[in-house]
Amino acid sequence: MAGIQPVSQGGALALRAGADSRPVRLASPLVLKVAAGLAILALWEIVVRSLAPAYVARPSGIVRVFFFVMRDAQFLAAAGATLWAVVQGLFVSLIAGTAVGFLMGRVTVIEYGLRYYVNSLFATPMVAILPLVSLWFGYSGDARLAVVVFASFFSITINACDGARSVPPEYLEVAQSFRARRLSTFLDIVLPSSLPYLLAGARLAAGRALIGAVVAEFFLSIPGLGYYILYNSRIFKHNEAFVAVILLVATGVGFEALLKWLTRRYMPWARRG
Amino acid sequence: MPSLDPMNRQANWIRYATVGASLLAGAIVWEVAGHFTSGAFWAPLSATLKSLADLARTGVLLRQGANSFELYVTGLTIAIAVGAPFGLLLARLPWLRVALEDYIMVLYATPMVALIPFILSIMGFGFAPKVLVVFLFAVFPVLYNTIEGARSIRPELVEVAHSFRSSEWQLWRDVMIPYTLSFTMTGIRQAIARGLVGMVVAEFFLSPSGLGQMIMTGSQNFDTAGMLAAIFVIVLLGVGLMDLGRFIEKRFAAWRGYNP
Repeated sequence: MAGIQPVSQGGALALRAGADSRPVRLASPLVLKVAAGLAILALWEIVVRSLAPAYVARPSGIVRVFFFVMRDAQFLAAAGATLWAVVQGLFVSLIAGTAVGFLMGRVTVIEYGLRYYVNSLFATPMVAILPLVSLWFGYSGDARLAVVVFASFFSITINACDGARSVPPEYLEVAQSFRARRLSTFLDIVLPSSLPYLLAGARLAAGRALIGAVVAEFFLSIPGLGYYILYNSRIFKHNEAFVAVILLVATGVGFEALLKWLTRRYMPWARRG
Repeated sequence: MPSLDPMNRQANWIRYATVGASLLAGAIVWEVAGHFTSGAFWAPLSATLKSLADLARTGVLLRQGANSFELYVTGLTIAIAVGAPFGLLLARLPWLRVALEDYIMVLYATPMVALIPFILSIMGFGFAPKVLVVFLFAVFPVLYNTIEGARSIRPELVEVAHSFRSSEWQLWRDVMIPYTLSFTMTGIRQAIARGLVGMVVAEFFLSPSGLGQMIMTGSQNFDTAGMLAAIFVIVLLGVGLMDLGRFIEKRFAAWRGYNP
């Protein structure tokens, strides 16, 4: 132990300032964050400039091409195609997945019957079925849509099932005592109380759907952001390709933030995960 | 959960019967669908199992499986070895955590597949770029969850440790590591699943190898049975690994009342 002592002492000393469990009062969080961001960009720029070939993406190069790419009709068409496929696929999954999940959550026999299929397909990396999907749907946008649906469907189903099962039984009993119709029981009790679960499922599904769309475009070579990245990186235009990555990241993070905000704004009672 | 209560025993019986019937129905649909469609679209279960047995007998399955396993385990191990200690470091240095956590959150939400073309064109073919892909898929869940854990350490715990004059090393050993470990395990569970996706993607789009290559070869030769056999193995792998991840998480996360 003695050998470690000097090092750990040093660590403790360095931290005394923040030992009252609060961040060091040297700078405000925002300043820290911005400084860290600038440091990361500078490090990236320096490393690429000094070690990597000239075509490798670096911040200054990305900034130079950014506005050009954002006005490029081809890029906009690619972005539209990918995002539209993701929206369509998520919509299908959300409707179908919620329906199947609710049935599983409320009807035991259906749950027993489908559980193994849903769980194992949820655990399957959707990339694995790409060649199969390309055989079925050809090298087309339909195949991409199918991959997006496959990627997002099961996480929504599983969460909808958990949500439907989490409905407090007292509510259902009260509804039954008042002879509520099945539809109103569903609309007024089951749906609202499982909404947080559905949103959690949608968050997970959106990330998977985005990955699914990009992978499908790599594999199928159909126009979209994934193919735009693939094509431009092959002709050594990494800066242009990276703009597409930024858009993908912004979409993912933006959707995540939107759902977080929705949960906090409209379902403040739901504190989940 | 088996029970001795007669009512529950009947419920269990219904459960096993339903599960059995549904698995049987699935197998029959798979078989029948294979006979009624063109061989290029779908292969019957029997042909798939025969193909799987052939692959196992000739040693192809074992060789390719070992290949994939090597890639997966290497990438995942590096991801955990980097992600967990770095997350712990951020747990102890609040200013560094505040500075970096938003960026880590963004990277956690980044679809890493989008980086594969860059990795391919910079690093080319070989084992290292594929390991990098698995690593990138797996490291951020570990890091992100460890930081979440760090953020939720109650200050009282650290204060009490300080009041009792625990040394830095004791603070780590008795408070920081035990507390964040449970969150790290949640991250490792996610990393186990994401790493598998990374493995298959790497084997598809970088130099073909392992189980991914088996799927590709099957699809290129219109050997649908062979392709389904390889996909079947990956599905089993996915289920097994997910169960393993849940088991690990449950083992370490029970105290915070977390039940995945």
